[in-house]
Amino acid sequence: MDNSTHKTLYATHGWVGIISGILLFVVVFSGIPALFENEMEYWQSPSLTQLPKSQAFELDSVMQTAAKNDFIFEEIFISPADEIRSHHILWSYLKETDKYETLYLAAHNNEVITPGNSELAHILTELHTSLHLPSPYGSYIIGVAGLAMLLAIIAGIFIHTKWRKEFVMLREKRSWRLLLTDQHKLIGLWSLPFTFILAFTGTILGLLGLISPILAFAAFNGDVEKATQAILGPRAQITGEALPSYSLNALQAQYQKDNPNIQVDLIAISGLQKSATAQDKVAEQSSENPVLLSDSGGIIKFSGMHGTALNSLQATTYQLISGEQIHHANFFGNGPFQRIFAAVVPLHYVFYGGGWLKLFYALSALAVCGLIVSGNMLWLTRRGLNERHWLGRSTLGVCAGLVFATFSVLASSMWLQKSGAEQHQLEEGIFWGSWLLCIVSALIFPKGFAISHWLLRGSALLGVLTIVGDGVMNQRWPWNSEGWVLFIHLGLVLFSATLLLVDYLLPHKISQKKSTEKIATEELAKAA
Amino acid sequence: MVWFKNIFNGTASRVCAAILGSLLATVVLTIGITMLWPLGDTIEKVFAGGVFFFVIWAGLFYWAILSKSGARAWVKVLGVFLPMLLIDVYLLRF
Repeated sequence: MDNSTHKTLYATHGWVGIISGILLFVVVFSGIPALFENEMEYWQSPSLTQLPKSQAFELDSVMQTAAKNDFIFEEIFISPADEIRSHHILWSYLKETDKYETLYLAAHNNEVITPGNSELAHILTELHTSLHLPSPYGSYIIGVAGLAMLLAIIAGIFIHTKWRKEFVMLREKRSWRLLLTDQHKLIGLWSLPFTFILAFTGTILGLLGLISPILAFAAFNGDVEKATQAILGPRAQITGEALPSYSLNALQAQYQKDNPNIQVDLIAISGLQKSATAQDKVAEQSSENPVLLSDSGGIIKFSGMHGTALNSLQATTYQLISGEQIHHANFFGNGPFQRIFAAVVPLHYVFYGGGWLKLFYALSALAVCGLIVSGNMLWLTRRGLNERHWLGRSTLGVCAGLVFATFSVLASSMWLQKSGAEQHQLEEGIFWGSWLLCIVSALIFPKGFAISHWLLRGSALLGVLTIVGDGVMNQRWPWNSEGWVLFIHLGLVLFSATLLLVDYLLPHKISQKKSTEKIATEELAKAA
Repeated sequence: MVWFKNIFNGTASRVCAAILGSLLATVVLTIGITMLWPLGDTIEKVFAGGVFFFVIWAGLFYWAILSKSGARAWVKVLGVFLPMLLIDVYLLRF
């Protein structure tokens, strides 16, 4: 590689990293709680963790309970109980009110249960999926950040020619700059496969909405709806004609028979109705089970995941009145590109491999966060600038602030358990308020390293306070907890310990050795 | 005209070619690939286009940014964009 190519790639790697680095930190760090969304949702509501362990699921019975509770809408989604939670979740999006209606049923007896008021999991997960921005702009921004990460990785691969040496080199006692350089290269190399997978799948997930019209334009004359239906199955054509519904249990059994390796994780029912005529209503009142009818165009779609294979696009659609199968989507074995797309979601959110792989992803994501921060600090140091530069302050405020805000909302979600319906507003206020406070503090106060230390210690303390809060408010102490509650407690201890370790290793100040662009360029020329 | 030449040959122009020019070239290339992909059914063609989109964008980005000047970068991306645009128009019309 000639010198100018190396120099251009080096500059591109640096500039792409600087422009997108802080946003990437937000996306990657918020990806850690997003990985454990289901687990956190289960943990944040103590009433749900007290249910007897059960994965029993009979669709007819579930829908009867839903009908009894007037939970019948044009389109209903059902997520059955799984290995983590012992309750079913039913929800529907109401266009008129722009809100979601949700119903929770205990899996062992299908009785309606009331979850807690915490929205912890949603607050943290939505930051990763949409940055809390209106759809679809948030996911587009995240997709572009993913693409920037991909570009930085590609340039990074080509500029690091001495990778064998860099795999094991960490000169921690020479200088701050060398330490940053070695740490950046070391983490970058070790986490390369993970970072590449994350960036590629994240880019596809974020920008899929943007490229869908292009693909539909080429293959379906610009009809995105037609393309979506060809891939994911048809939508219900509601006619208004109500007929008796086919047995939902029979359809569930049929799907399981046809897809024995799949665990159903989502059911979408469109066109189901409660009894429409006066005669039916009389019958319904005298009966314990309401009469379920279906629109003649109603459909039901079962989707599931392979627990062991990378396949997320396996769904079967049936007619609700006849039980006839009208669409089957299975991209496993249907060509390499369908396989790639089917693997995107499981690869990104670890819907395979179990809890230990999730833990590995979480630790790798933490390493990537370190990579981003060291990249920004390195960029400043190589230009003879220090942490007081606006980029250093912004990195500190946004990145360390996000860590602090995440731990603040985790702790507050436990201590606010008794605050009633206002809990989720308080949680949101604490999350955004503490993050903003950190950003303002970093921009105002000049001692960046001192603030870093306080934020790291504060976050670790909040991690411990979360466990104490869970014990005091919900009587769930690590020694009397089990399953995912215990894992979350251990995860908090591990995370807090990591933060204290970083606090211990991070210097309190750095010697201001003049390091100019000229020196950096000379070194670069030498390396090339 | 000298100022225009300077701007056109400058780094900003090169970066624009690498980001925007390569995006436009990627869009027409993706449309072409989706229509011409020889293997599999329509859904496989759509997914092939979807995967290639990101690979091509990243590839064209670096091909353009590694040019000696902005003008060369634009020549590269337009060299892909214009012929592919003609092919797309031909395929969509006939």
